[in-house]
Amino acid sequence: MRIALTGYGIVCAAGRSVAEAWPRIARGERGIGPVTLFDVTGQRASIAAEVKGLVPPGDGSVPWSRSDAMALEAAREAIAQARLFPAGLRDRRVGLIVGGTTGGMFETEGLLARMHADAAQRVPNPEMLAHPLSATADRLVAALGPFARARTLCSACSSGANAFVLGAAWLRLGVVDAVIVGGTDGLCRLTYTGFNALGAVDPNPARPFDVNRRGLTIGEGAGFAVLERPESAEARGATWDVELVGAGITSEAHHITNPAEDGAFAARAIESALASAGLSAAQVDYVNAHGTATSLNDAMESRALERALGEHVSRAWVSSTKGVMGHTLGAAGAIEAIIAALTIRDRRVPPTAGLEEVDPKCASLRHVPAGGVEAEVNVALSNSFGFGGVDTVLALARRGTARTSSESRPRVFVTGIGSASTAGALRGTDNARLLDARPLDVADPVVGLDPARARRLDRAARLGVVASSLAGAEAGDGVIMGSSYGDADGSASFLAKLFDKGPRLAPPAEFPNLVPSSPSGHVSIYLGLHGPTMAVADLSTSGEAAIATAFDLISTGASKAIVAGSIEGPSEIAANCLAPAFRALEGKIRPSDRSEGSAAVRLSIEPAEVELVSVVQGNDPHEVTVLAAKPQGRAMVIVAERSEEIVSALTETAWADCPVRDVVGAVGRHEGLGGFAFAAAAASIQRGDVDDVLVLGASQGRSYSLVLRRH
Amino acid sequence: MSKPRETLRTELKALIVRELNLEGRDPSSIVDDAPLFGEGLGLDSLDALQLAMSVEEHFGVRIPEGPDGRTAFRSVDALAEWIETHPATK
Repeated sequence: MRIALTGYGIVCAAGRSVAEAWPRIARGERGIGPVTLFDVTGQRASIAAEVKGLVPPGDGSVPWSRSDAMALEAAREAIAQARLFPAGLRDRRVGLIVGGTTGGMFETEGLLARMHADAAQRVPNPEMLAHPLSATADRLVAALGPFARARTLCSACSSGANAFVLGAAWLRLGVVDAVIVGGTDGLCRLTYTGFNALGAVDPNPARPFDVNRRGLTIGEGAGFAVLERPESAEARGATWDVELVGAGITSEAHHITNPAEDGAFAARAIESALASAGLSAAQVDYVNAHGTATSLNDAMESRALERALGEHVSRAWVSSTKGVMGHTLGAAGAIEAIIAALTIRDRRVPPTAGLEEVDPKCASLRHVPAGGVEAEVNVALSNSFGFGGVDTVLALARRGTARTSSESRPRVFVTGIGSASTAGALRGTDNARLLDARPLDVADPVVGLDPARARRLDRAARLGVVASSLAGAEAGDGVIMGSSYGDADGSASFLAKLFDKGPRLAPPAEFPNLVPSSPSGHVSIYLGLHGPTMAVADLSTSGEAAIATAFDLISTGASKAIVAGSIEGPSEIAANCLAPAFRALEGKIRPSDRSEGSAAVRLSIEPAEVELVSVVQGNDPHEVTVLAAKPQGRAMVIVAERSEEIVSALTETAWADCPVRDVVGAVGRHEGLGGFAFAAAAASIQRGDVDDVLVLGASQGRSYSLVLRRH
Repeated sequence: MSKPRETLRTELKALIVRELNLEGRDPSSIVDDAPLFGEGLGLDSLDALQLAMSVEEHFGVRIPEGPDGRTAFRSVDALAEWIETHPATK
């Protein structure tokens, strides 16, 4: 199937639209200046690539973040270009995928630091509704929707690129007619200070690939594109020039901040992107490099391009646009994919701003001369590499350049089940115990880790390693875990140190653990897993959303096997502030009892006893139950926690008369219970208790139905 | 200011184990003149950054980047000597 790009939107320091930003990017005009958003006294750098004049939209009834505001501008531009006007969204099945790393961090940093210092501040403050990564998707749904489905993912600095990969999967699966994909990240003290503490920032504007480069310049921005089946686009009269023809996702499983110097897995991502598009290295005309301007990245990326392109590395133009707009983190993969598409559309290749003297370590690349070049670009790659060694490469091509590959639609099976929680460390069919009414009297489930290799793992990552290991993770696997709020408490602690002691005493080792995808990254590194690795943030349906994401990627051939589920570490801020603030929106207030845990299943194309036969996402639990596969044998419904809402969602559906069980008794309450419900479902079928299970998850206007069946 | 070198070394070893989460490692098992990075304790560049921050926090002494920093981080002994011979910044 062809995937057409019918609309683009960019917000970054170079401009607030493609029309404004692209000519500056194409000429290599820097958008870097002094930081005005917050105090940078004592930081190594005092510059950034800020977006100026941003005014949060909305009527003030819900808080908006800079990330949200930029995402809305970029998405609106993309929708307008695609002529997919808001009226059109309602008539069509349009999806939304948002990648990012910090969400509403900037707007909530002061509050987080106060909550760290003072337990009395940990109350359901409505300001914190802007904090979670998933808030951006919620704001876009409110402003532009309704959408057929929306999802939020994080794979650090490859988040925006992975939104494109998942969007293509949704189109291939036929669950949407069009999908708005992208990434957004607003500048904030946390990331500014974190990269500063890592010594990864240049006091002067970034000089990617230059022999004198000293690190990155932090930027902010958003990039969104409309992906669509050509028939659907043409039926609406939308025009298009560029298609997304391939993608490759790998994990280095090497180190939480440093890339593997040989670039082997980054090269594999490039090779895989080309192979999936049926393209050869000789056909690559342009590479928009990750090119952060850190010493390690640019050298590693040069090795990766040499490995993947071979002799043709001297043919393809290469540039990094981060010299213009800085590193826009979770937005970078999306903005740069759009730039790659624009090079094809306009036959214009941007230079690397700041590159004066090429580092001998990067000399094999064909760097674009200052001012940019005019060139016929038919095939362009966009490289994105994130913390934890999570590498995604997108391949874009001029319409008709790549042949459409025949597509298989592999079925997805559960080959392993594991969990670590108050119910203990459970493997395989033992996970049926997750349905028990109360927790077993068990010791800490986190045992058996190698202390030396686990020393950088926080509690969440340790729970994830135990669960993923029990699920039988193998070297080629990906890791996709639900993470509702990321590490709010860790962020609060880091920010309190910044505010109390200044940037020099902000702890560098803590920073990489604050990216929401960090637990998944640690699982990949600890267990040596090399497949697609990311987090999915979707409030109390984060586990269901992560499993659905793994299903989408496996059943469209992006990976053969993925360990998927949820990881929720202990969190005072989630327990006392975030969770009750979101529950209050539904008129529900519960006491603050919050548990912790990780549940994981290994989803694979290898046939096994339990098959995941249907995955439906929607806005309403009844609707997703009606659309779910129907039970064929002895059936059961498993939910996070039984409620009248859930039971009434089942009425007049094929699942109405089935027993309804939940996992809250055994594992307590947290946002990742969907992962546990799924693990219990697979275990119950494997143990022979039932033949079909519906896992139904619903919260805050998001609903998932996942049906497992004995194969 | 003039702590006995032995006390300083003991404090540094405890700091290294605590700040770098060397769980299960007995601080007194760290050899005074053994390399901290690469071979030795197997520490890496992220540890170096964390350790430099911790030393500055606890002893008020900055460990510079580059060759001088590498000298200071050669061993617990070298680090103790660096702290003794450089003024606190606060």
